[in-house]
Amino acid sequence: MIEVKDLIFSYGKDKQALHGIDFTVGKGEIFGFLGPNGSGKSTTQKILTGILKGHNGHVSLFGKNITNSYNKEFFKNIGVLFEYPYLYANLSGLDNLNYFASFYPKEQRQDIEVLLDRLAFKKDYIKKPVSSYSKGMRQRVSMARALMTSPKLLFLDEPTSGLDPAGAVLFRNIIEEERKKGTTVFLTTHNMLDADLLCDRVAFIVNGNIAVIDTPKNLKMQNSNQKIVIDYMLNGKRENKMIEASELKQGISLPHDEIISIHSQEPSLEDVFIQYTGRGLL
Amino acid sequence: MGYSFFSLLKKDFTMMLSSKFLLLIVGSLILYSLYINLVYVRTDQAIYPVYLLDPAESIENISGQIIRVDNMEELQSHTSDGYAVGIDATGAAPKIIMTASGLDSTDHTRTAYALSLLSPGQSTPAEVIGQNSKEMKSRREITSEFLFFELAAVGFLGLASTLFEEKYMGVIRIHGVMPISKSLFIFSKLILFLLADLVFAFLLTVINLGLEAGFSVLPAILVQTVILSIIMALVGFFCAVWLPDFKQFSLLYIVFAIFITTPVFLVGQTSITWNWINYHPMYHLFMAIKNACFEMPVGEPVYYIICVVSIVVLFLVAHKTLTREMAKEG
Repeated sequence: MIEVKDLIFSYGKDKQALHGIDFTVGKGEIFGFLGPNGSGKSTTQKILTGILKGHNGHVSLFGKNITNSYNKEFFKNIGVLFEYPYLYANLSGLDNLNYFASFYPKEQRQDIEVLLDRLAFKKDYIKKPVSSYSKGMRQRVSMARALMTSPKLLFLDEPTSGLDPAGAVLFRNIIEEERKKGTTVFLTTHNMLDADLLCDRVAFIVNGNIAVIDTPKNLKMQNSNQKIVIDYMLNGKRENKMIEASELKQGISLPHDEIISIHSQEPSLEDVFIQYTGRGLL
Repeated sequence: MGYSFFSLLKKDFTMMLSSKFLLLIVGSLILYSLYINLVYVRTDQAIYPVYLLDPAESIENISGQIIRVDNMEELQSHTSDGYAVGIDATGAAPKIIMTASGLDSTDHTRTAYALSLLSPGQSTPAEVIGQNSKEMKSRREITSEFLFFELAAVGFLGLASTLFEEKYMGVIRIHGVMPISKSLFIFSKLILFLLADLVFAFLLTVINLGLEAGFSVLPAILVQTVILSIIMALVGFFCAVWLPDFKQFSLLYIVFAIFITTPVFLVGQTSITWNWINYHPMYHLFMAIKNACFEMPVGEPVYYIICVVSIVVLFLVAHKTLTREMAKEG
């Protein structure tokens, strides 16, 4: 679905943002693109969505080189959720969606009210101006805008930003449902939980270079110290001990009265990110 | 494409309504018309008063418009305003006493006028050229001025304020990932503001010149309105997208209104002459509207060629600036 080879981009002469990055995203895959601010992830997304022109290297979407394929057909096949919920504040959520939907063929559009219902949008606000919406409600309308034309490729930038935990779970479920329909998702986020739970593969980008690409599970396993912490009771006292994972093959040999818990010391995706890049996701 | 364009028009019209631009246009129309009809056409400054000091009454057959005074103090006091003219006829030859107006050409006219009143029978009545009464001349003059100001300054501000609103909401960049051309995004705004300007030009002309005179100049006025409205809308579009905030735009607007428009009004409407004004593009646009109001020939073919080329160049610049804005961060 997406093929990027040796992608280079510069803002002016001395400000190179991308230093020759390579990756591919398969059809129906959820691909996470993670990196700190200024790492080049927004630049990459802008090139892929046709907003930014003038790159070097090879980029193809839907099997076509993008340099020649940014036309109406291309834009009909993508849906984009921006980092901020950009909407006409003086129009209602419904009017916003009807307006943006009008640029697409009728047969491609979903029923907007059904879609908003799926996104748990409060019905009594549907005809009120966006200026009266909370951030979560604006995010729901923006998500509806990205989904309303059943795109083959979805670009999502911080999809759960501004949502309460229940809203975040709902959005993750919806993204999963879209993937099941065969939609490819290019996810840009700082939220490691989203990336961990949703992405088939993630790429870590730092200073315009991709540090690593793999599945979240592999990344965590490969960077695990293979240690396990056992919490136990012995002579009425709570104790814990760290052992090598391989030691478990022989059973728990340490003296104990009761095992309370066994924790693997698998790193979080954020730990792995810091390990590869030396930077946190700020 | 047709449906998309209609959606853009509908949305832009909603934005126009919410920005109160139409209200501003209606307000301007009412204000200008009231000023023209109730104040401007009724204002007429009296010709220079002329005072004569001639205690011996040595000059005979003077005009009835001359006011006699008794002494030099009185003569000097009456002529201290830089407008009135005094004649001291106490010597062998009459001497002119007046305070300079600041303009040599005006002072020469004042002197010639005052001296002509000493022998009124010798002056030849001026030939009246054209069919404009003084009132109609005033109406045409001020209508062209208000129309130019409205199109150049208010229209420019109106489009920019609407666009700034969209820019602050971040919605401009959404259009960059939609199957809609950027040109249509610009066209829709141009068409709406052009229509508003055409309606304004029509009403201002008909209300203030009257039905007969108004309709006879309308075709020429509407053509000039189309040209100026599109040029100013494109300049407003470019500035609003290019400048980061409305504060900077306001500063530019002040520079534009004071330093660019003022010399055009001064040369176009007063006796001031500056040769360099011929290189000022707004001067030609103003004179085209003024000539249209006076039913004079409007512009050579080269004027229209330059206007069309300017519109094309401004459109390309606006398009490029819009593309850059869409690629900006949130």
